[in-house]
Amino acid sequence: MITTQANILATAVGPHLFWITSRAAGIAALLLSSLSICIGLLMGGALLKGRRSELRVTHEALSLATLTALALHGLSLLGDGYLHPSLGDIAIPFLSGYKTLWTSMGIVAFWMLAVLGLSYYVRTRIGVARWRTLHRFTALAWILGLAHSLGEGTDAGQTWFLAMIAIVAVPAIALLLARLSSWRERPATPQALPAQPQHTSRKLSAPAIRQPDWSDHGLA
Amino acid sequence: MDSREQPSRRPSMPHSTEQLRARALARDRREAMRRRTRRIRRSVASLAAVLFSTAFLVIYVQLASGHDPALVANAKRAAASTASSESSSGSTSSSGEESSSGASAVTTSQS
Repeated sequence: MITTQANILATAVGPHLFWITSRAAGIAALLLSSLSICIGLLMGGALLKGRRSELRVTHEALSLATLTALALHGLSLLGDGYLHPSLGDIAIPFLSGYKTLWTSMGIVAFWMLAVLGLSYYVRTRIGVARWRTLHRFTALAWILGLAHSLGEGTDAGQTWFLAMIAIVAVPAIALLLARLSSWRERPATPQALPAQPQHTSRKLSAPAIRQPDWSDHGLA
Repeated sequence: MDSREQPSRRPSMPHSTEQLRARALARDRREAMRRRTRRIRRSVASLAAVLFSTAFLVIYVQLASGHDPALVANAKRAAASTASSESSSGSTSSSGEESSSGASAVTTSQS
């Protein structure tokens, strides 16, 4: 009886194996990236001061897990019998004919995450300050990924999917908004700073480089 | 790896007990940090595997039980097109008296 049921299930799902794998990997990637974004924002903010090294390791591991899940999400689609996409369709934006805008959004988000994430390992060549500034755009890539999943995802209309995404995405969005508001409040130019005593004017006249406090990632 | 863990030995400068103790403490702390790092990486890898497996299982069951959103939508679309084609063929095969009303019904369903 159980064997028969298992056979029925296998027959029903067999042709969709790659499709299911891609969907599951996409969901896993979205959850992992949301967690990674949350930790990255917590590291840079004043909410968590201690345990920086553990947070950095967790953030790094989550980011690498996200990239692995995203690679699986895209590559497993190559075996899908319904879409039959080429490698170009899943890697180059605006090439696929299937929901072109949403698909392209996902592809752009992946490449942004890959480049901005993996550039951590060559940050000394890029310049740490420049790398930190670039790393801020990871949040934009995550938003693009979120839009891709809600716009194109097969399960986007399902209650369980929306609830699951809300659990991880809402805190990340709240942290992101808090960070954006803190950036806006901070004076960006030396002119915006309050007047200093006369004896320090020489020091302030030097060109001020605004150091982002997005996250020190254990680099400071 | 071992060469980094070993404190550099300078035979000309003998180490005081305090220095040796400080170095041992630093070594212990480094080792503890490495252990924590390994544990965190393993936990994240497990979390990723659990998330993927759970999502796979949910979609699998949804699909096998005939509740998959994409397939249900396709089935509905197919049923609607079959129904419209059936009504179309039914109207064309009907008698000449009903042909005018049949044609209007098809036009309505297609629009």
